Order: sequence, then structure tokens, then C-alpha cells
Amino acid sequence: MSYKKNEDLDSGPGGSVMDKMTVFQDCIAGFNSSPIQPRRCRGLLTKLAYLLSTGDTFARDESTTLFFSITKLFQHKDIALRQMVYLVIKELAQNADDVIMVTSSIMKDTTVSSDVVYRPNAIRTLARIIDASTIQAIERLMKTAIVDKHPIVSSASLVSSYHLLPVSRDVVRRWTNETQETVLAQKMFPQYGGGISGPTPSFTTQYHALGLLYQLRSHDRMALVKMIQQFSGASGSLKSPAAVVMLIRFVARVIDEDRNLRRPMYALLEGWLKHKSDMVNFEAAKTILEMKDVTDEEAFPAINVLQLFLSSPRFVSRFSAIRILNRFAMVRPQNVNVCNIDIESLINDSNRSIATYAITTLLKTGNEASVDRLMKQISGFMNDISDEFKIIVVDAIRSLCLKFPAKQASMLSFLSGVLRDEGGYEFKRAVIEAMFDMIKFVPESKQDALSYLCEFIEDCEFTKLAVRVLHLLGEEGPSTPQPTKYIRYIYNRVVLENSIVRAAAVTALSKFSVIEDEAVQESVKVLLRRCLDDPDDEVRDRAAMALRLATVPIPVAKGYLAPDAVPSLGVLEQQLILYVTGGPDAASVAFDISTVPFLTKDQVDADNFRAKVSSTMPSIGSSLDSGAESGAKGSRASPAGGLHEDSTQAYAAALAKIPELQVFGAVVRSSAAVALTESETEYGVTCVKHLYKAHLVLQFDIDNTLKDTVLEDVSVIASPSEDFFEEQFIITLPKLGPESQGTVYVAFTRPEGEYETASFTNTLHFISKELDPSTGVPDDTGYEDEYQIEDLELGVGDFLVPTYVGNFQHMWDQLPYEASETYGLEGVSSLSDACASVIESLSLQPLEGSELPLQAATHVLKLFGRTVQGGKVSALVRMAYSVKSGVTLKITAKSEEEVVAPLVAAAIA
Amino acid sequence: MSSWFSRFYEYILSLFWSSEMDITLLGLQNAGKTSLLRVLGGGEFTSDSIPTIGFSMKRVRKGRVTIKCWDLGGQPRFRSMWERYCKGVNAILFIVDSADPATLQIARMEFEALVSKPSLEGIPVLVLGNKNDLPEAYDVDSIIDIMNLKSVDDREVSCYSISAKESVNVDAVLNWLVSKSN
Ligand SMILES: Nc1nc2c(ncn2[C@@H]2O[C@H](COP(=O)(O)OP(=O)(O)O)[C@@H](O)[C@H]2O)c(=O)[nH]1
Ligand SMILES: [Mg+2]
Repeated sequence: MSYKKNEDLDSGPGGSVMDKMTVFQDCIAGFNSSPIQPRRCRGLLTKLAYLLSTGDTFARDESTTLFFSITKLFQHKDIALRQMVYLVIKELAQNADDVIMVTSSIMKDTTVSSDVVYRPNAIRTLARIIDASTIQAIERLMKTAIVDKHPIVSSASLVSSYHLLPVSRDVVRRWTNETQETVLAQKMFPQYGGGISGPTPSFTTQYHALGLLYQLRSHDRMALVKMIQQFSGASGSLKSPAAVVMLIRFVARVIDEDRNLRRPMYALLEGWLKHKSDMVNFEAAKTILEMKDVTDEEAFPAINVLQLFLSSPRFVSRFSAIRILNRFAMVRPQNVNVCNIDIESLINDSNRSIATYAITTLLKTGNEASVDRLMKQISGFMNDISDEFKIIVVDAIRSLCLKFPAKQASMLSFLSGVLRDEGGYEFKRAVIEAMFDMIKFVPESKQDALSYLCEFIEDCEFTKLAVRVLHLLGEEGPSTPQPTKYIRYIYNRVVLENSIVRAAAVTALSKFSVIEDEAVQESVKVLLRRCLDDPDDEVRDRAAMALRLATVPIPVAKGYLAPDAVPSLGVLEQQLILYVTGGPDAASVAFDISTVPFLTKDQVDADNFRAKVSSTMPSIGSSLDSGAESGAKGSRASPAGGLHEDSTQAYAAALAKIPELQVFGAVVRSSAAVALTESETEYGVTCVKHLYKAHLVLQFDIDNTLKDTVLEDVSVIASPSEDFFEEQFIITLPKLGPESQGTVYVAFTRPEGEYETASFTNTLHFISKELDPSTGVPDDTGYEDEYQIEDLELGVGDFLVPTYVGNFQHMWDQLPYEASETYGLEGVSSLSDACASVIESLSLQPLEGSELPLQAATHVLKLFGRTVQGGKVSALVRMAYSVKSGVTLKITAKSEEEVVAPLVAAAIA
Repeated sequence: MSSWFSRFYEYILSLFWSSEMDITLLGLQNAGKTSLLRVLGGGEFTSDSIPTIGFSMKRVRKGRVTIKCWDLGGQPRFRSMWERYCKGVNAILFIVDSADPATLQIARMEFEALVSKPSLEGIPVLVLGNKNDLPEAYDVDSIIDIMNLKSVDDREVSCYSISAKESVNVDAVLNWLVSKSN
């Protein structure tokens, strides 16, 4: 077959651009003329399709006019013309009125014999024009088409059904049997092999049917599990690899949601590792490695399979394998390093993407000694890879700095090198972020990193980045031994840059005026005075402000220029949104900044550090439900940016609004929410523990999942195991509607200044009233009921706040009190599991990347934090693992306060 | 060679002799438009006709004339679209259910609205009182009265009493239509 270039498409002589209005006029005239000229009309429709698909749009009335003139073409039987008509109607459908008009005409075309070429087009178009009031009329027709023997017809109707879900889920749900039948029917396409050059036969219809079936059943876990069992059966009823891949995604969802099914589901995944299609092998391996807390034994077979693919002759196989391993290496390097030799051989792969993944994986799995060699290797081809991959490299280096601070010099010179290369904004931003991290978390690198950044802004095309660097120079510069050096670089920007950068430079400059050195102060003032003539208001204002602050005592000026504490930005934003959306009432009083908690520099650093470390973790979960379902959950008073913000800051604002609690003073620490019920019970309860100076408040968040029951007078009776805790009052919930959430608070006194722990047994009390199913009104008479929920522990960890410190060894040596304990942990099957559980129960900050064990047999975890009184506390946890005895660990704790070290050492019980 | 020649000859003939015309079938839902069209095209009458959503198009041949029939949905939501399909047609068939007095008044109103449209001026109309096989059906004179056809004076208006079911007067309809081809 040969294709002739369609001359009609290049409209007009000289190849001028196709004019929308001309096409419009020609179409109207052409389609309404009599008799219809099919060739000419097809040409016109092609032009129209071209315009619509390259982003041109017509106004609604124009689209409608076009649509109606196209419907006139139904009088002609030309098959190719009819096909074009459908393609264009499908495009116009969203943008024209009364498209329902063609329903009967299309319905006629969907019932022609299977091999009429336009039948699938007709079905697909039908799905686009139908609405909820007419969908019943096409029900029978769709059912017939779904089970049609021709795979193309069947696929078209399955995919169309998918699109009809938002129109009427209930109607489509009635087609479940037909869909199910189609999964099993194994329709091959093309049916007769397709000849030597034709496409290889596939069973794609099965994939479409399975996808629809999932949409129809996904709300029902049992049905989903049944479906998995049925289609994963030994009979191998799924012939399409794409369908198996989809089935694996269902399995991933079940594993994620139901612990009890994990074992049988895992067995399926393991079987698919040996499937004959590599697509299936990859999906199974990826899913295994993304399981929550995957154990070493579970991960092993998956890694094994991926390892084999690393030496595959096909690019795509090597790429997929190394990409999955790379992601896993970010969290569990110790499991991936068995592949190191194979990964080494990919460093020189002719495909740069594969090489990049190989090197960044090795940076994670290798030891400190190999870092230099790998960095040299990668510098060799940084210029050949796209920005996207450059960012992957830079991110790998960034997390490496935090792990091997000793390597900072070579990493820094690598980063400064790539900073000079060509690259887009995102890439440059990644590099300077990495340098910012080094300055913050690897103090030894500070001097050099600042110099590199100074050099960078001398010739920086990105205003945003220049502003950030200037801000950093203002923050860090004044405390360096040679501040004057930075002043020169900053002032250069005032002379040479645009007004946004100039303003940032003035602010940075002003921070040097609080240095206790008169010569420096005077020269800064001279420079600032020159800025008073700047053409830009903002620059002048900032300079004037800075000069005024230079006349007040330095401690006062510092409060403005370099404050010790900054507002929690997340909460500030939230409060401001509430304020501006609060209507005229809220606006009649000034915004109350005291509702926003302030964070010290320490706290901000620890939050940032946590965010950095966790952002390098791959995110889990495939995009299974992104299409037809949107999961907007009701929001409640919970931390806004869970990861970045210490939970205390986020709760504080909500608690401050409760009058009964105000007398307790400020919250010192809020725990993370703890679940006290299994998932999927009638009532879901979670608890947050809030420590005050001399009080403890338990916040019980209760979720009534019943559709037909109202709870009234809801309270929680929480009985402490120790009598130092005395109940003060309960703030009950007068009414909790069906399928809604509410909160009960229980307040206790606690021994001030001490770290007493206890456990609480808890019972939910309420009056339960059923709703009349017909009216939705609750019965008058309810009955009193109680509901036992799980016990709650107040442990040592609840008194500790994870905190970041730059130099672990130095801090460790300074702490006066020490205690240690040794434990054997049974039932913990790997060191990474042990690390995670120690970190969680102690609530301390892991440092130097020590939360990720590199070896399977031994590991040292380094932790640091402060008590709620502010005293430093640190722990060194040595652990060893053997198959026979599980994990053995020794906790050595040191602290500033005498009582704390023994408490921490004993906390694991 | 000879078959090629005879095909060519027929083609030449058809240029001179055959003609195409457009007509629309209008009327309230359930009047029998779709049924009539099936019978006009030589098909069997079936009693389980499903309501037309939008329009459907069918070609009917009578001698050398090809009649392109646009059968339009009668539900209220489609009535506003009738005009779009009537512009430039050779004739309009307006079908009423002569055995259902309850709908005849509405049919008359829709009919009057239709013939008052300037864009449809002068187009000949044939009003058909369908379902005359039913005992309670009005006769042709009653239909003329009820539909107030005598008051239309700007075009040709005819009225027949027919039955799609029993094929009564279906040929007369075809002949009337062919007489409107040009
Ligand atoms: N008794 C009788 N019933 C008819 C006749 N023509 C149509 N019908 C019935 O009237 C109903 C509506 O017909 P249909 O052609 O769908 O009407 P439309 O909505 O105007 O297209 C159907 O149940 C037909 O069987 C007729 O001449 N006699
Ligand atoms: Mg009809």
C-alpha cells in the first residue's frame, strides 16, 4: 500500500495556514448541497478534524451549526464518508448543543453486521452523545455489542461503557454479566494471523473487559478478591499480558488494604515473576517491592528476576529493570547490592538513561569508597543526558551528602561543576537545593558552597534562583569568619540586576548591618544609602527600612532582620485563608497573629531535614483509580502538611479555640494519630495525645460509618493505669450523624515536669438511634450502648521531639548521663524493620542516613531529639540480625537530664 | 466491454430521467411517522416500533424518483429542531393520530407554529390522519376541521386519512409525494 500526500490539507497555494472561518463556510456549503459529493465532503471533514485536533475551537453556536450540517451527510451511504462523519461528531459533541439529535441514526449503524467498518466508530460516537435521559434506549444495543464475536466491536463497546460510567453508573452496572463473559471469551485480533507483515495477534479485548469489570466492582472488596481468584486461576484464562498487568494492580490494591490477604496475594505475584511475558514479570516485581514493609524474603525473588533482566539484550528490559531497582534502592539499598556487579556493567551502557539509573543506584548501594569513582564516571556524560535525568543524578548526590558527610568535598566540586553547565530552571534549582542542603546539614562544606553560589549569581539567568541564593547569603554570610567577602558579591547584584533581584540583594545586605563590627556596619550603611536613589520603589523602601534599623540597638534590629523564631508557614496560610474567606464579620477585627505558632530555627531545620529524607522515598501506589473515581475525603482538624510540619504546630491552632482547654496554657507536644479500632468497623476511632505543662488531653476522633444510625451524647471513658493521672472533664459530642465524624476530648492532670507513662483502657459510650428508612428521621427512643476500643499507651516517645543536629559525635560526647539496655526482638525479620519500629517508639530523629541499614547482619542507628522540657537526648542503637535469633539490639541512651537516659534505654519493652 | 457500455448508458439515462427529492415527516410522538416510513419503503408494519431519538433518514424509490425521507422525533425536546430539517425540502408530511383526540389539539398548535415560519413559506404540506383502521378514528373531514386546515392559504395543503398498519392510502401518499418532485 502506498500513501499519497493529501494535497487538500495544505490549504491554498503557497502553503498558507488553513483558515478556520474559510473551512467553516466551505463545510456549511458543502454539507448542505445536493446531491452530496462524498469525496469533497470527506476532504472538508478531514480539514475540520485537523483543526479540532490541533487546538482550534469553534464558538458554541458555530459548533452547533456545523453539527447540524454534518447530520445531513447521513443521507449518503459512502462508507468512508460515514466513518469521517463519526470521527468529527465525536470531536464536536462536547462543544455543540442538541447532539442527541443523531441518536436514532447512529443506533441504526450500530446494529449493522459486525464487519461493516464503521460500526465501532458508531458505537464510540454514541457514547459521546448520549445523556442520562436516553441511556436506557441504548442498553440492549450495548449489551449485544459487548458480546459481539468481533473483537474490535467488542472493544469499542467496552471502552465506550467506560466513558458512560459518569453518565449513569447504575445502567452500566447492569452490563456486568456481558463484560464478565467477554473477559473469558478470548477474542483474538486479528483473527486470521494478519499475514506475514501484519500485527501479531493479541487479546486486547480481554484487557478492556477486565478494566470495565473492575470499575463495576471496585467498590466491593470481596467481589474484587473473587475476580482476582477467578482470573489468576490455573486455567490461565487471561491471554492478554496487559490484562494480567492490570490484574496485578488489583492485587496491589488488595495487599495494601487487607493484611490478612497478603500471603495468598503474594503467592500470586511470585507466580507471575515466572510468566512468559516480561511486561508481567516487571509489574509483579515492582508490586512486590512496593508492598508496605516488604520483608527481605519477599523481596528476594523479585530482585532476582530483575537482576536477570539487567543483562537482557533489549534496551527496554534493561531500562525497566534498573528503574525499578533504582527506586527500591532509595529505601532499601542493602537488598539491592546483590546486583551490584550486574549494575556495574551497565555504567557504560550506550543508552544514557540506563547508565544514569545504574550509577545513581550504585551511589545508593555502594560503599563510601566507590563514591569518587562513580562521580567521575557520571561527570563524563552529564552533558549527554536530558535535564530530567540530570535531576535524578543531582538528587542522588544530594541524599549521598547527608549519608556520607566525609565525601562532601568531591560532591561539592561535582555540583559546582554541573552548575556551570547548560541547563533549564528545574535542573539548576535541583543543584542549588542540593548545595543549600549541604550548607545546612554538612557544616564543613559551608565556606566552599557559599563561594560557589556567589560565583553562580554573577551570571544567573533565573531571577527566582538568584533571589534564593541572595536570601541564603544574607542568612549565612554574617556568621562566617569573613563576611565582607559576601558583601561585595551581593552589592554587585544591586548594580547589575533587575528590580526583583536588587530588592532581594538589599535585604541580604541589611542582614550584615547587625554584625558587631563597626567598620562593617559603616560600609554596609554607605552601600545602603546608595540604594536610596534606586528607580524602583520596593528597593528604595527596603533600603530605607534597613538604614532606620541601623540606628536602633543591635538586639532590637535583630528581631526584625534575623528573628529567632518564624511563624509556622503552613498554619499561617491556613489561618489567613480562614480569615479572608470568613466574610464581613471576620474582617471587622484585625488578624490575630497569636493563633499562629512560632517555630525556632532548630525546629524548622528538623522539619526540613525530615522532609528532605522522606522526599527521596519513592511514592507507592499505581494510578488505578485516577480515571472514573475521585476520592475526596472529608477533611478534619488534622495536620495540614503532615510530612513537613511537626504535628503539634498543626493541632495547636485548633485546640486554642476550645475555651475549656485554654486554661492549660500552650500545647507542648502532640503525638501522631493512633488508630484504636480495626479498619472497617462500625465506628472508627483514632486518638491524638496532647501534652500540656501539667495536663494531658486525649483527642478521640470518631467516625460513625453506619448509614442509618445517629449517635447522641457520645463520650469516651478513658481509665489510666496509674493514678498520677486524674480525670478533669470530658468534652462530649452531643450528636454524631450517619457517616460523619466528630471529636471527644478527655482531659487529665499529669505530674508537672515529670515523664510518667501509663496506659489507658477506653470505651465509647453513646445513645444509638436508628433512622427511619423512608423518612430519614431518627427514632424517638434510642438505646444506650457502649463499644470497647483498643488500649492507648502514653510512652516515653510522647515526651520526645525529633530534632536535627549537624555533628552527632560532638553532641554525643557532651551529654552527661548514660544508660543502656539489651533486647532480643522476636518476630522482627530484618534490620530495617527494627530501625523503623525503634524510631517510631522513641520518636527521635535518625541522623546520618542511619535509618537505612546497609548490611543485613549488623547496623548502628543514631538518634537525637529533645524532651518536652528542652533537654537534649540521644541514643545509639547497635543491632544484629540472624535468622535463628531474630534481631538483637542494644540501646545506649545519653541525656542532659538525669532521669531521661534510663527511661529511653528502657523504652522498648 | 458491452457491460461497461450498458452501465454507462444507464448512467447517462439517469442523468436525464432520475431525480432526488427531500421530504420530512413531522408530527407528535406516537403518531406513526416511523411506521409509515417503513411501509412507504416497502417494509412490513411492526407494532413494536421504538420512539425515534432525534432523526433517522431513509431513502424510498418510486419509479425514477428517489425520495430522501427525514423522519424526525416527535417528543417536545425535538420539535424545536424540526425547522432545521425542513428548510429547502420539497414537501412536508404532517402525521397525526386520528384515533387519539387528546393529542389532536396539541398537534394543531404545533402545525400552526410550523406553517407560520417564514423560512418554510410555500412548502407544500400533506396532513395525514393515521390509524384509520381503529374504530374511534376521526374521518378526513373531521381532521381538516380540527386541524383548521382551511385557514392555510399561502401554500398547497392536502389531507388524507390513512392506515400504516393496513396500508390504506399509502400509495396515494407516494403519488402525492412524487408529484412534488421537480
Ligand atoms: N393501529 C395502528 N397503530 C399504528 C399505526 N401506525 C403506527 N401505529 C402504532 O403507533 C405506535 C407509534 O408508532 P411510531 O411509528 O413509532 O410513531 P412515531 O413516534 O410517530 O414515529 C406504534 O406502537 C405503532 O405500532 C396504524 O396505522 N394503526
Ligand atoms: Mg418515530
